[in-house]
Amino acid sequence: MKFGLFYEISVPRPWGRETEKTVYDNCLEQVALADQLGFDSVWAVEHHFLEEYSHCPAPELFLTACAMKTKKMRVGHGIIVCVPEFNHPIKIAERTAVLDILSGGRLDVGTGRSATWTELAGFRASPDETKKTWDEFVHCLPKMWTQERFSYQGRSWSMPQRTIVPKPYQKPHPPLWVAVTSPGTEIDAADRGMGSLGLTFGGFAEQEEKVKRYRKIIRDCTPVGEFVNEAVSTVNFLYCHEDEAEGVKIGRRLTGTFNYLAAQLLSVREAYPSKSYPSLGLLPSLRQEASGPGDASGAPEGIAIGNPARILREMKKWEAVGCDRVNFLLNALETVPQQKVLDSLRLFAKEVMPHFQGASESASAAAGGR
Amino acid sequence: MPPRYGKLDLAAWAKSAPAINGYKTEPWILKGARIVTLNMEIDDDPADNLLPATMHPSIPEYATFCVTNYPDSPVGPFSIAELRVSGRTGVRPRGFVLRSFCDNENARRELAARWGYPTVAGEVKLSIRHDRVVAHASAGGKPVLECELLDRDVISGGDIQYIASMHLARNHDDGKLVLVQVDPEFTFSKAERGKPRVILLDNDAFGAGANLRLANPISATFTTADVTLPKIRYICNPELPAMQGTTKVAA
Repeated sequence: MKFGLFYEISVPRPWGRETEKTVYDNCLEQVALADQLGFDSVWAVEHHFLEEYSHCPAPELFLTACAMKTKKMRVGHGIIVCVPEFNHPIKIAERTAVLDILSGGRLDVGTGRSATWTELAGFRASPDETKKTWDEFVHCLPKMWTQERFSYQGRSWSMPQRTIVPKPYQKPHPPLWVAVTSPGTEIDAADRGMGSLGLTFGGFAEQEEKVKRYRKIIRDCTPVGEFVNEAVSTVNFLYCHEDEAEGVKIGRRLTGTFNYLAAQLLSVREAYPSKSYPSLGLLPSLRQEASGPGDASGAPEGIAIGNPARILREMKKWEAVGCDRVNFLLNALETVPQQKVLDSLRLFAKEVMPHFQGASESASAAAGGR
Repeated sequence: MPPRYGKLDLAAWAKSAPAINGYKTEPWILKGARIVTLNMEIDDDPADNLLPATMHPSIPEYATFCVTNYPDSPVGPFSIAELRVSGRTGVRPRGFVLRSFCDNENARRELAARWGYPTVAGEVKLSIRHDRVVAHASAGGKPVLECELLDRDVISGGDIQYIASMHLARNHDDGKLVLVQVDPEFTFSKAERGKPRVILLDNDAFGAGANLRLANPISATFTTADVTLPKIRYICNPELPAMQGTTKVAA
């Protein structure tokens, strides 16, 4: 099991001159520390117009900075919105290749289609089309990365024959992932031989079912790329403190703040009925699972808040249900002071990570030994 | 630090708040309702003035026009046209009803007294055409709303999510102002989606004044459904954020 960071980059009002910069600087400081501590990867979302909730419209820039500040961590573009009004496929192929080169072959490419009317309408994209354009994009991307010359005539876009340069540093190309929020999307990932990048905080039972379904289907997949990326990631919150009550208290403030912000956005389903968005998507799942009643400690099932012993138990359960990787959200609206975030990362790396095979061997030493 | 709150002038709005007879209302089951809703984005900043401090504006804000014909009810057939502004009570999507126009005096009285609907007398009509569904509302012979769903397209009722509404009312028993949550249940027998178009809107008739500016059209739906107007489950203090001022009044 591996552990990564996951950034939405939430910025509190008022958005004064220094506010956004402070938040970005804090994130980069966390990433640099996490690299030393042995965390495996850093992911950054692509969101637009989601005031306070996410100020991360250009994750490739943030990830480039991350790559420059780290030596080992992989950088995950999680996710690129595969909707032509947001991103032209040629530009996706080009800029991911550049990021892969700059990071020395450390790029993972997450794909998805957006879940809010706030964003889709902002770009004048039709919710009815996003699943189709996503499918078209993920079939094209590996070819654009690997074929010397590429041409395409498709449903949502086309191009005459050209040589798309540069090519990625990783050969044959970076691993591909699908954001899994709506029920059933894990099947879309498995069918195409892509990693399942879980973005909901579902309980163990639900996730175990999803993982089983994914692993069964991917055996017979038709990969969109040159190789199958069979991997399951899930996302979580992290606040680790020696004192369980303190860890849970601050952790719940973090999860509550995040969910509160998420709820103010306009989900597609609330505003625009479409078969393409059969569920309420990410946001209600966040609320239900990460704000649940909790166990005796007061922490919801599976959420990595509390003391190291509790978090270790929860992580072992994630491992048991078949997750290969857990990516952590560390803050929302700077609810947790930066020093506490850094201390939480150190404590997790020192007390929890060494109990997992695959987590960096250097974790314990970098965190000050056990 | 929480997101934005509504800035409704409560004292001004309280003047038109209906009196509600406590919160012990028994449900009404209304069969075969025909419901047209239009969702339209609205200009955010002025629209904050149309939400009570209990609610947060959604991002972006939107208005819902809802025109319903109930062919049967305990007080006879009636139609109602209302205008809501979208928001959130805490983390829950809700629509604050600015005003409703209703064409049956008995229904109007009952809706106000049982669920706190901010109703006034009016004429309301739905016209079902092959390519569109048109809704009209007028008061005192003067049109206040004309809107339509264009390009009718059949969808599943399961694709539709109607949002519970919030009504500002004054409790008859203690004279206190409350926000009453009304969350009807719907059993759909038919559902369509189309494009929304507002042809005529008298902002002042709905109490919106200059605070409501229609912007980007979102969607329109036309459904046939059995509707249950349920027991009142929650009320809010209109002066406090929902997280602090919500009271459960029925299971």
